[in-house]
Amino acid sequence: MTMYTEPAPTERGPIVQAVNVCKSFGDKRILTDVNLEVARGEVVVMVGPSGAGKTTMLRTLNGLEAIDSGEIRVNGELLGQRVNKQGKLVERSARDLARQRANIGFVFQHFNLFPHMSVLENIWHAVVEVKHESKSEAVAYARELLGRVGLADKADARTRSLSGGQQQRVAIARALAMRPALMLFDEPTSALDPEMVGEVLAVMRDLANAGMTMIIVSHEMGFTREVADRVVVMDAGRIIESGPPAQVFATPQHERTRQFLSNVLA
Amino acid sequence: MKFDWSYFWQSLLAPSPQFLNGLALTIIISVVAMALAFLLGLVIALMGRSRFLPFKLFASLYIWVIRGTPLLVQLVIIYTGFAAAGLFRFEDVDLFGAIIKGAVQAAIVGLMLNESAYISEIVRSGLESVDRGQNEAALSLGMTPMHAMRKIIVPQAIRTMVPPLGNSFNGLMKSTSILSIIGVSEMFQVGSTMSASTFKVFEIYIVVALYYLLLTTVWTFIQTAIENTLNVRAGLPPAESVFKRLFGVRSRKQQTTSTPALQPADIA
Ligand SMILES: Nc1ncnc2c1ncn2[C@@H]1O[C@H](COP(=O)(O)OP(=O)(O)OP(=O)(O)O)[C@@H](O)[C@H]1O
Ligand SMILES: [Mg+2]
Repeated sequence: MTMYTEPAPTERGPIVQAVNVCKSFGDKRILTDVNLEVARGEVVVMVGPSGAGKTTMLRTLNGLEAIDSGEIRVNGELLGQRVNKQGKLVERSARDLARQRANIGFVFQHFNLFPHMSVLENIWHAVVEVKHESKSEAVAYARELLGRVGLADKADARTRSLSGGQQQRVAIARALAMRPALMLFDEPTSALDPEMVGEVLAVMRDLANAGMTMIIVSHEMGFTREVADRVVVMDAGRIIESGPPAQVFATPQHERTRQFLSNVLA
Repeated sequence: MKFDWSYFWQSLLAPSPQFLNGLALTIIISVVAMALAFLLGLVIALMGRSRFLPFKLFASLYIWVIRGTPLLVQLVIIYTGFAAAGLFRFEDVDLFGAIIKGAVQAAIVGLMLNESAYISEIVRSGLESVDRGQNEAALSLGMTPMHAMRKIIVPQAIRTMVPPLGNSFNGLMKSTSILSIIGVSEMFQVGSTMSASTFKVFEIYIVVALYYLLLTTVWTFIQTAIENTLNVRAGLPPAESVFKRLFGVRSRKQQTTSTPALQPADIA
């Protein structure tokens, strides 16, 4: 077992540092030595064929998936693990991991809004119950966010009554309400009817322009070209290529990237 | 046929104080046993979901034994068997001035243990009916697993749990009739005693049957009202009508959509 000394959490330096991340389900290797560093304010889009491990990688970044080896730091702090007095890596407590996750927004492919709460309560619930902010302030901020995603009139609606595009915009507002330092998106538009994709991408574009750090798994190549600072290509559990979208799309270095791009751009 | 109509009407419409006491005891035992069984069932269900192996094993063993043996046998073991073996004897206790008979305590404990095994399965399948994404969304917002369970999972699971729980309660009220075996003077026992002294056997048992029917019917109305309230709150269509429930006329659609994955058989 390696001896670790944990650096103090920092507001400078990369927001995400994933080093040699490995992950298996049973005896099936899903992630192999993934290294990923994301700077503050950077927008990274992960692409790659189905089954490449994009979702799994994204889920490890907020501890929804525990890793087998390697380490992940968010804001300089080890995620899901900590160094004990003997200098060994041990699992963090559920409460400690929850505290770390509160700082990381996650937007799911299938929205996962809470159907037993109104739209507005979906947004303020965790702010009040997890961050213990005053309810009146949390509700006011929830209304402001709802306005920003263009759904001010839906505050009291039931989540089931909303369209997919509207639900996803509420889900984004819900994640933003926690004032996260980092937002993760797993194919946020791939469960939507085509006519609703634009409204969700528009919200994400605003967010990127406002300087939010984002890691996005997406098959929307037009959006990627426009918004991404960097494209990361995954294949068979590894990152095989990474660079600015113009470069990766125009002159892919890897044969698998070329194949993948010709499929999605065709 | 010999049927004493005037005795029948009198017993039905103006029952004796003993009979009403029996009725009250039936209701009290049912409600108390159900409430305790729900709490215990919740604990057993959570143990079954625990990552701690001894808890998991205990829950499986408990469910296996309780569901695999008849309620009647369980009751006799708890009340008569334990006492005979010198293990434990249910003594009458004085609770705020009311004497609670040992047999009544044994009845409540027996029904609670029996029912809790079925309820833990209802709770388990109710919790499983909530999409995994709900828990993940809750965790991603910084809720602890405990908080997610209380505020996100359970409120949604309750709605799917109420119909089978209500059916269990219905069965529980009917199974109180076997408590006469350990000498609890609930409604059936009182009826038996009356029939032995008056020889109006048929009349009395018909009256007893009608009172059980009254209990289960009233409960069906209450259960339907609860389900409707929960459905409306969740923005879903109302539950199936009382009429359909009572007379068993179910449309095929409702059978496939509203029947939970696991329908525990009525006990006893
Ligand atoms: N919980 C799990 N248990 C077992 N195998 C899993 C689990 N989750 C994912 N996998 C497997 O891991 C592999 C990678 O899955 P992942 O969802 O990360 O891929 P992806 O790149 O997101 O693909 P897609 O574009 O289809 O969403 C797949 O082969 C999948 O079957
Ligand atoms: Mg995926």
